[in-house]
Amino acid sequence: MKRAARLSRGKTVRNRVASHRRTNLSPYRSAGGSTNLQSELAVCIWLPLFALRCEQQRRSEFTNDPTALLAVEDVRRLWQVSPTARRAGVKAGMTVSQAVGLCPALLLWEPDPVYYDVQFSNLLLELGNVSPVIEPGELGQLYVGVDGLQRLYGSPEDQIGMIQHTVTVWQRKLVAGSRESRANIARDGWKTRNRKWELRLSKGDKETEQAARFCVCTFARFGWGRGKFTAWVAATRANPGEAVIVSEKERVGFLASQPIAVLPLESDTHRRLWRLGIKTLSDLAQLPEAAVVSQFGRVGRRLWSLAAGAVVDPVVGRKTPEPIIAKVDFSHPVADRTMLSHSLDRLIEQALRHPQRAGWRILKAQVCARQENGTSWVSSATLNDPSADRRHIAAPLKIRLEHAQFVKAVETLAVEFTMFARGTDELQLFARDANSSARAGRQRALRTAVREIKARYRRSGLYQIVEVQPHSRLLERRYALIDYDP
Amino acid sequence: MIHNQLHPLNLPRRVQVQLNNEGLPLAVASDSVLLPGSTVEKQLSDVPKDDVKSVAAILEIWRVEDEWWRQPISRRYVEVVLQGGRHVVLYEDLATGDWFIQRCD
Repeated sequence: MKRAARLSRGKTVRNRVASHRRTNLSPYRSAGGSTNLQSELAVCIWLPLFALRCEQQRRSEFTNDPTALLAVEDVRRLWQVSPTARRAGVKAGMTVSQAVGLCPALLLWEPDPVYYDVQFSNLLLELGNVSPVIEPGELGQLYVGVDGLQRLYGSPEDQIGMIQHTVTVWQRKLVAGSRESRANIARDGWKTRNRKWELRLSKGDKETEQAARFCVCTFARFGWGRGKFTAWVAATRANPGEAVIVSEKERVGFLASQPIAVLPLESDTHRRLWRLGIKTLSDLAQLPEAAVVSQFGRVGRRLWSLAAGAVVDPVVGRKTPEPIIAKVDFSHPVADRTMLSHSLDRLIEQALRHPQRAGWRILKAQVCARQENGTSWVSSATLNDPSADRRHIAAPLKIRLEHAQFVKAVETLAVEFTMFARGTDELQLFARDANSSARAGRQRALRTAVREIKARYRRSGLYQIVEVQPHSRLLERRYALIDYDP
Repeated sequence: MIHNQLHPLNLPRRVQVQLNNEGLPLAVASDSVLLPGSTVEKQLSDVPKDDVKSVAAILEIWRVEDEWWRQPISRRYVEVVLQGGRHVVLYEDLATGDWFIQRCD
């Protein structure tokens, strides 16, 4: 097997960062946005357990405890499990009762998909500074197109270094956004890391160590290769925080040695291939394509092409939508602020429903008003976190509208979304789902309530009923109360 | 740091039970209202009638023998309906002879 070169952070990264700051230009941007948003050379960034890491970031006091996130669709099952819990035998997909039976100290958290979506959108936004060709995969997995970036950043190692730096910048913002006090600790940790290019923490500096342990980037894996599939396989072979680079010469050999589990297979297909004695991509590629197609149909053709390295799937970026405008002409000019505020809500809703907006979150919005005397007023707001939530977008605009000093009544009110950030398609679906949104909303309300109760009584005193051994013949072993700490 | 602890629900509560000749419960009284050291029959006659619930019906009887490999569990369960319509499970710990009450799921 020709093993691709592993890459750790190198000193050259810092030089490239400086160079990037000086030029702040990418080959795609220089073409004025008219370039083709596809790239065959790809970097895959894989952040395993993305949602759980985000949650640990928010609740850093529980970093060392065995933790698990409940599934979005079925809260009786686990979605993501921390390594500490995994060591106790807890696995993703288990029921809560099985998990608590194996690990009584397990902390269970309800998921907040909207929050994870926002953080992932922020990461995509940050990576937009490196390359305009960004394609999100599932949560915690994304591709950056790097065609032509060698002239700006240099070798693949340097490109990866630039991307690692960008992920680090996002991480710092995530820390700063989640907890200011913790952010200082984490930033110090990262400064240490950036200076020495490795994680060196002073002994006894437990807080810094803890902050560094829950850094998402520490767990990020990077893969560089031609085509998304090669980049993805390379990322899965990388150690945490490191990268595997697969050159074009090595590509076919590298893929040949991989197990078939790296293919996008359904479990049935995987089982069938396994029973046929096909265990590596090389085994699959050596079969005649027609034979694989006759057995597995269209899927088989795709699998064979991937295994043989015959297909290169490019990273496909999406053009940022043109500004979206929604406006209303009042039949009678309006001076009442409540009425204007209500109209603003409706306009934001209308703009959010625009088909161009699908898959994008709003980063910057502005509100414009034309008064009776022909003068106009405009104010814009940049959101800290890109959002597709009406209330989130409306809040800063309403404050500006309330403080606006209109001389005359308003004849026309307009809302314009001017900047966008890409969201994950998967989680945007989550967020659109009414139940998930409602649950996330309830979760936020409960979190606030618990915080207030804790501030007053030092403990929340709230409990959640969990199934422990629901079918036990001993009644007292069936259900239990567990501290409820959303 | 706050640690989550499991608090089992429906823990058995010790009670005094008046039995008939066949060893089946006739009446149940809270353990706290009984005088220590006295026999069950005497206690039940001593306590106020409101604290004693007679058994209106016996629904089911079964035995559980479990966990013989560590702390053996040997229980005789009786599912009953108490006077007033409350539905409970009583069990006798066959190792000690004590009776306990639990809610019925």
